[in-house]
Amino acid sequence: MPREIEPGIHWIYEAGPDRTESWDLADRDPEWYEEGQEAYVPQCAYLVDGGDETLLFDTLSPASTDEILAAIDELVGDRGLDYLVVSHPDVPHAGNALAILDEHPETTLVAPGYGNDHELYRLDDGVHVTEGDEIALGNRIVEFHEATFLDAPVSVWMTERETGTLFPVDWMGFTHLDNERLVFVDELDGEFDVSRLVEFHGRVLFWYQYVDVEKTNAEIDALIEKFDPEIVAPAHGLVIREDATEYMELMKDVTRTIDEQGRVGTLG
Amino acid sequence: MTVQVTPSVEWINQCYEHEGDHEHVSLYLLRAPEGTVLVDSGSFYHREEITAAVDEATDGDGPDAIVLSHSDYPHAANVSPLGGDTEDVELVASSASPAQQGLPDARKCDIGGSLTIEGREFSFIDPPLADRSHTTWIYDHGDGVLFTADGFGNYHDPGRCDYLSDDFPESTPTDRIYEYHRDNLVWLRYVAPEKVDRTLDDIFASYDVNAVAPIHGNPIVGDDLDTYRERLRESIERIASEHSVA
Repeated sequence: MPREIEPGIHWIYEAGPDRTESWDLADRDPEWYEEGQEAYVPQCAYLVDGGDETLLFDTLSPASTDEILAAIDELVGDRGLDYLVVSHPDVPHAGNALAILDEHPETTLVAPGYGNDHELYRLDDGVHVTEGDEIALGNRIVEFHEATFLDAPVSVWMTERETGTLFPVDWMGFTHLDNERLVFVDELDGEFDVSRLVEFHGRVLFWYQYVDVEKTNAEIDALIEKFDPEIVAPAHGLVIREDATEYMELMKDVTRTIDEQGRVGTLG
Repeated sequence: MTVQVTPSVEWINQCYEHEGDHEHVSLYLLRAPEGTVLVDSGSFYHREEITAAVDEATDGDGPDAIVLSHSDYPHAANVSPLGGDTEDVELVASSASPAQQGLPDARKCDIGGSLTIEGREFSFIDPPLADRSHTTWIYDHGDGVLFTADGFGNYHDPGRCDYLSDDFPESTPTDRIYEYHRDNLVWLRYVAPEKVDRTLDDIFASYDVNAVAPIHGNPIVGDDLDTYRERLRESIERIASEHSVA
């Protein structure tokens, strides 16, 4: 069941597998973990309804084909889906693109303009967007950006102008507990523990172990200045709708921590 | 047609062209003691050519096992056409969440662990050069071949698709190694190059590597391994130095 973040912006959530055992959380007992709970790194997709037109950003994984199709039906009904944006062709992000396009032949596929292998991902026929390109949906306008911290070269980030929402895809993901599904970060109990971000980036964005800390953190400062978002909507975490730039600042601690301790582990 | 890399490892060579450059999107066939093993399954873009090449190389029998470096489409798109969704073909992948990766029937290999597949021992290595978190490099203990997935690639000019590294006049050219890694492992712009190099040193010290078999480049053999490593080091230093924060 999707959750509305702001009027017209909907959060569609897939929990993925429980990571508790494979990450030895019960034994390691990091500060954010509560004994007996399951822990997740979710997959998130977002639907933007601008009144006139609708846009879906990412597709969830192939394990949730029925769920994403049902969510689209629930949110757009007979109006149809006007745009499907694939942030990057990683299977858990784009794995339902064909199923969605089959179900919604009215939909325009939107793909990153970056990278040079589009045919290998069946993204050659889509509309290709790069920095500054926009799609007006009515009372919502989305804008596309070169992805700063990414895995696949065929990648793009997105913002929604009216609400000041940044969609940074894989960056700023983090773990959460079973009872925190579809919960906004400001609704969590207690202070947000930066080690949740470390746990994710130290495994999934494995290259953090190799970065130049000063350069990477200067880039984070540049991102804060460029976007200054009100809301951060990551693909692998919970939605941050208050004090968003403070959470972006926390990412500098993530860089320093992984530099000191190395890769936390594999996704496992 | 396949290209022999080592006595029991063959290269099923496929190329993708963009703006005059060629980029390999290949896979490899191992003749293990108890059967044939494919490393990766190639792109759907080359499906017809790949299934025909595997069919010819295996006398119509198809592979006995498929080992995937990761689930990215250019590597994992032909699992079903090659029989990887049947009980006759063992499918091995590193993903901890195979259903999310579109590989619900895969047998899991742990990064950092080893498995015997068709009588051959393989080790699964945490790769310093990759584009997805669940990628594994695969080391074949039989011939000493290191399959490096997205790492150790290069672009090449038309007409050099079948080259091993020692077929180039002076081994794989530095600028082609640089261009490939610049375009495909974008995060290298943020690295401290010595950190990557240390990890590569550890891998090459731990495994007796006779050949490196990338999916997106010409295989690297013999003395060219040291040459390639040196050129890769220069390339990574260049990629990192060329990016400055705006």
